[in-house]
This record gives sequence, structure tokens and C-alpha cells, in this order.
Amino acid sequence: MPGFLKDILILLRPRFLSFKNPLLSANSKKDFYRNLVLGTAGFFFWIGIFIISFRTLKYFRRIEGLGDILIFKLLSMLVLTSFSFLIFSSILTALSKLYLSRDLALVHSMPVSGNRIFVARWIESTADSSWMVIIYTLPVFVALGIVNEAGFFFYLNTALVLLSLSFISSGISSILVMAAVFIIPAGRMKSILLFFGFTLFLILFLVFRLLKPEQLVDPDVFSTVVVYLDTLKAPSSPLIPSTWVYDSIKESLSGSVQSSLFHSGLSWSFVAVILFINILMADMIYFKGFSKTQTASFRVFKYKYSDFPFTGFLPGASRAFVGKEIKTFFRDQAQWSQLLLIGALVIIYIYNFSVLPLEKAPIKTIYLQNLLSFLNMGLCLFVLTAVAGRFAYPAVSSEREAFWLVKASPVKIKTVLWIKFFIYFFPLLILSEILIVATNIILKVDAFMMILSFITVFLMVPGIVSIGIGFGAAYPDFKSENPAQSVTSFGGLLFMMLCAGYIMAVIILEAGPVYSIFMAAVHQRSMTILEWIWTVVSFSMVVVISILAIFLPMRFGEKELSQISP
Amino acid sequence: MIRLENLTKKYGEFTAVSNLSLTIPKGEIFGFIGPNGAGKTTTIKMMGGIMDPTSGSIDICGISMKDEPEKAKRNIGFIPDRPFLYEKLTGNEFLRFIGNLYGVDNRSFAARAEEKLNMFSILAWADELIESYSHGMKQRLIMAAALLHDPEVIIVDEPMVGLDPVAVRMVKDLFKHLSGQGLTIFMSTHTLKVAEDVCDRIGIINKGVMIATGTTDDLKKISLLADADLEDAFIKLTSL
Repeated sequence: MPGFLKDILILLRPRFLSFKNPLLSANSKKDFYRNLVLGTAGFFFWIGIFIISFRTLKYFRRIEGLGDILIFKLLSMLVLTSFSFLIFSSILTALSKLYLSRDLALVHSMPVSGNRIFVARWIESTADSSWMVIIYTLPVFVALGIVNEAGFFFYLNTALVLLSLSFISSGISSILVMAAVFIIPAGRMKSILLFFGFTLFLILFLVFRLLKPEQLVDPDVFSTVVVYLDTLKAPSSPLIPSTWVYDSIKESLSGSVQSSLFHSGLSWSFVAVILFINILMADMIYFKGFSKTQTASFRVFKYKYSDFPFTGFLPGASRAFVGKEIKTFFRDQAQWSQLLLIGALVIIYIYNFSVLPLEKAPIKTIYLQNLLSFLNMGLCLFVLTAVAGRFAYPAVSSEREAFWLVKASPVKIKTVLWIKFFIYFFPLLILSEILIVATNIILKVDAFMMILSFITVFLMVPGIVSIGIGFGAAYPDFKSENPAQSVTSFGGLLFMMLCAGYIMAVIILEAGPVYSIFMAAVHQRSMTILEWIWTVVSFSMVVVISILAIFLPMRFGEKELSQISP
Repeated sequence: MIRLENLTKKYGEFTAVSNLSLTIPKGEIFGFIGPNGAGKTTTIKMMGGIMDPTSGSIDICGISMKDEPEKAKRNIGFIPDRPFLYEKLTGNEFLRFIGNLYGVDNRSFAARAEEKLNMFSILAWADELIESYSHGMKQRLIMAAALLHDPEVIIVDEPMVGLDPVAVRMVKDLFKHLSGQGLTIFMSTHTLKVAEDVCDRIGIINKGVMIATGTTDDLKKISLLADADLEDAFIKLTSL
């Protein structure tokens, strides 16, 4: 075996062993059941994507003339979106794998050349950043193949060409990361991550605009059907790697093996080019960049000590934790890009409602407005769950290995958890109320729906934050290099499932009474006694569930965290 | 001042600490030595209130760690073996955090913080983020923080790890000075020379069991090696 390949395999060996060795650990049984639950949930999610894709594609296929165009448009959107996700994901993974991992100092002290270390790390980074995107786009491609009765070549080619897309994304990302770390001094990691944050924001925004999703369902904005069809058929730029992948899949779907191989060849040859450029760059600047990362960061501005404002009225321990939480949060540059991303999501979320063609819908606008407003409540709460999963759930894990300070301090775990709860509760409440009120204003809903949405969100935000903090405390990961990722763990899955159940329960409880109240108002009649009882019981149950959702998870988290020693 | 009674910690079937009983009077420096995996850090974690014992009790200044953990911890300055801190706070901010937790008076905080930072030669770094500190500087900061609230008991795991020779000398002198003022110090260490130089009494733990306690001379006698040093006595006792 050539020395180059042998060194890379040796460098990758600890990673392979880390997959194998958990089976030997004392916790293997516990881990096995956890993985079984996670795997089963993942499998059902995969099946769900497959069923939805299959039905959608089958429906498109039936539309005379327009069906194929719609399918290919969907395919192009999927490939472009996957490409964007792969780039985002691999930028962050490459930065961590190439420059920030704790074991890098050990690896670089070994008698192996820098470019071999780079290639081994790059392979790991590619696998870590792309496996999830690939696995969860596969059901769509499988459905596409089945609906179009594609042959074996389609499946093989799709798998290979998606693999090439992963390598390309990872290659582009590592070039960007190496250049950024080399140009910007490593002590200014903040600036680097800010750069990534803005890039993320811009790319997301561009992708969103490129897709023009609202035009797909609104042929009226085009002067003629021909223009509409042309827009749908409009090809993507041939300079974008996702276009080669799209073309290759499209051609293999229609059985043009030769043409498909040509586009696959384009994609794979670009993999070779990008890998060559990466190795060349790694030889020139990777170690220099890594070396810079090791130096202590120099700061232009010193942090002159000051008490955190508006906390003077709090008891000492609470003041200590509030100040510490807020300062460490905003000084952690990894949080910045996430905040920017949330900003982008809020804009896109509200923008979506502003372009809804309500007046063209076959249902009366007043019904649609109120129906959408009611469903929007659930949607907004699901968005809140995702955001809480990113910020509130990792709040305890973010103590990392300094958790001993919490345990050794003369403060109850319960107090610490409630402080964390309030730190995340207020911003998340404001975010959710902004989303719900802004979208309701755009939908021009009546006063009842506005008040109902406002109060429901107000009641549910503390419950969702509490589930996040409580389950984050019950299943903490203090060893993680990136505590934000702790939500992808078993505890995170439980948090997501519980939140989803809670939201659905509230929506179901409110749906009936809201319908009765709404219909009574529309028909200008008063509600029956039965409807009144139903309404009071339903809303009371919502209040009771919400109170339980606040206190039970916090108590559970406190109990479990008290048993854990750092 | 410190009283451990039948302290036991089990991890499943494995007993890390078994029936450990010990009383350390006010003003004593007690050295806790033992081979790797003997149960030193587990004992220290239980004494610091970081880990619950399986059975047995811990009293700090007459306060039960089980019944009133917050009150007991208020009397302790805890120094772990590895300096994990909040990397995104400055040294000064970290001390303020600790000061607020332990109820250090606001008016006296600035003077106390400056005194401790100066004592451990990190005053110049007070407004730098902890992430830019070296291992030794972090260890010094933890020590400064542990002394900030004038505790009555210091529990310290491997105090000299990561410190330069000047700092080691300073810490040894400081511990002697503090014990002279009535502070009780429980110190786990692998550095037998430090234990010999500083401690009034030394306990040897092996496989979770306290096998010998006494002054350096007592331990030499127990090991039947009157002319040998503490290292010889330690090796003999722990290899039995």
C-alpha cells in the first residue's frame, strides 16, 4: 500500500474504532437502546419523506403536459437546496475538524506530513457534514425512480453523483475555511465566524430567491402560459456543480445513459480538480493557519469589568448566573451565525405570509384567513421548538466541563435551572409573539383570532422552554465540543417529541371551540350551552397542560442533574 | 472541622471508596495520597458536594453536606485538579461571579479580588478572557477564586499541577500561613515531597480503603522503614 494512503488510513483509524468501541463499554446496553430509539425514529422519518415524495411526484406525473416540468423543477430545487445545505454544513464542520478539534495538537505532533493530516481530516469532515443530507434526500430520489419506472442505472448513478456533490461541497468549503483562517489572524475567530454567518445568511437568502417558490403556484403573474412554462423550464447556470448533478440525474431518469455519464463525469472530474487544489493549498497554508490558531488571541479592546445592567435587584447567586450566562453567550461567536440565521428565518417566515394569494383561493377569504391564522399558531410554535432546541436545550450542556463550578457552588441546582429558564424565556417569548402578531396583521385576522393566538403562544412558550431546559438538564453532554449539537441526541429527540405532542394537544383542544366561536360569529348567533361548556373545558385543559408543561420537566431535569457528577 | 464517617462510594459493583472515616481538626493540613485510581478524586468530589456518596456522611464545620449542602459549601474553597472554567469570562468577571455566588460583600469585592489576583501574580491578566490563559494561570485563578470568600476549609485536588516552581513555593507557604490562621486544608497530591513539606498529617488510600494515617514519621514506623523517606513508606504500604 502506498505510504500516502497508509498514513491516511492510520489517521482515520481512531475514528473507526470510536464506532466499534462503544459496543465494548459498560454502557453498551443503555447506548444500544438509545440508538435503537433514535434509529427507529430516523427510519420512520425516512419512510415519511418517501411516502410524501412518492404521492407528490405521482400527483405531478398525472398532470398532462406540465407534470414532467414540475417534477424536474422539483428535482432542480432539491439538488440546489441540498448543495447549499452541504456547503453550510461542511463550512462549519471543516473549521472544527481542521482547526479547532481538541485532538489536533496530538495529531500534528506525530511524524506525518501536513497534507496527509489535512486529507484524513477532510475525509472525516466530508462524511460528518454530508451523511445526513444524503440519507434524507435519498427517499425523494427513490420515489422519483419508482414513479418514473427508472432502471438500476438511475439508482446507481444517483448515489454516485450525490457522493460527488458531497465531495465538491466539502472541497469548496475547506478552500474557503483555509483561506479565511490564513487571511484573518486566528485570534480573531470571531471575525471568521461572523464572516461565515453573513455568508450563510446571504446564501440562504439567494437560494430562497432563486427558487421563487410562490411563482410555482401562481401562473397569473405571467402574461401567458408559455412564459410560465418557460420559467419553469429555465435551466440553472452550467457553472454551478449542482447543475451537473441535476443534469446527470435527469438524463439517467429518461434513460440517456451516455448523456448522464457525461454529466456525472463532469462532476467527478471536478471532484479531482477540487481535491488537487485543496492538497495544493493545504501544503501551502494549512499548517500555517493551524499554527496561528494555537497562539493566544490578542484583543484590541480589553473587557473592562462592569456589573451586568438591570440585575442589581437580584440576589447574589442569580445575579452571578445571569451575568455569566449572557456574557458567555454573546462572547461565543458560534452563537452569532445562529442568531443571524434566526433573523433570516423570521424575515422569510413573515415574507411567506405576505405573498400568499388569499384572494385567488376558492375558499372565502374570511375562512381562509382565520384557518391559516389558527394553523399558523401551530407552525409558529414548531418554529419556536426548533429555536428552543438550538438555544434552551443546550443551556445546561453549555456549562461544559466547568459544570463542577455549579455543583461545588452553594446554590441549588433548581435555582440554576430556573435562572437559565428565565434567560431563554423572555427572548423566545418576544420572538414568538413577533412572529404570530406580524403574520396575523398580514393575514388581517379578526380581533378574536389575534387575542387567541397571542394568549396561546404566551401560555405555551414557558412550557416549551421548560421542556428544553428540563430535558437538556436530564440528558446533558458536558464533553461535547459543540454543545449546540446536543439536541441531536436521545434527550433532544425526547424534547422534540414531547414539544410536538404538547403543541398538537393544544391545537386539537382549541380547534373545536374556536370553530364554534367563529361560526357563531359568522352566522351572528349565540353559542349553545353545550358549546360554552366545551369551550370552557377545552381552554381550561390548555391552561392545566401548560402549567404542567412548565413545572414537570423542570422538576425532572433537576432530579436527574442532581445525580450527575462532573 | 472536617468529619467523614463511613464514607462509601460505589459505581455499580465497583467500590471506589469504602467506609472511609476521618476527622481533621481546625487549622490542620491533611495530605491525602494514594496510587492512581485509589479513590482520591472520588473522595474529594464527595467532600466538595459535587458527588453524592452511596452511604456515610460528611460534615464541614459541623454542617452536614447531605442535609444542608448549600450551607456546607459556603464554608469551602474547592480547587479541582483540572482548571475547567468559563472561557468567555475575564479573570475579573470570573472572580465577581464567584463573589456573587458565595455572598462576598460588594464593597469589599474590588479590594479582595485585586489582593488575590496580585497574590497569584495574574493581576495584569485580570481583564483578559480566560481562554487566553495558560494552564498554570487558570490554576492560579481557581486558587484565587477559592480563597476569595475567606473559606474555613480548603479542599484541593493536586494543587501543584501546572504551576511553575515559584508558584509551587508560594502555594506551599500560603497553605502553611493559612493553616496558622486556623484554616483547615484537605489536600490530595501525588507529589510526596509537597505532602512531606506541608502536611501535618497524611492519609494513604489504596483501592478505596484508608490503609494508614499519621505524620510522616508515623507512616515510616507503620511501614517498618524507620530510615527511609515518605516515598519508600508509600511504596511499601501500597504494595502490600
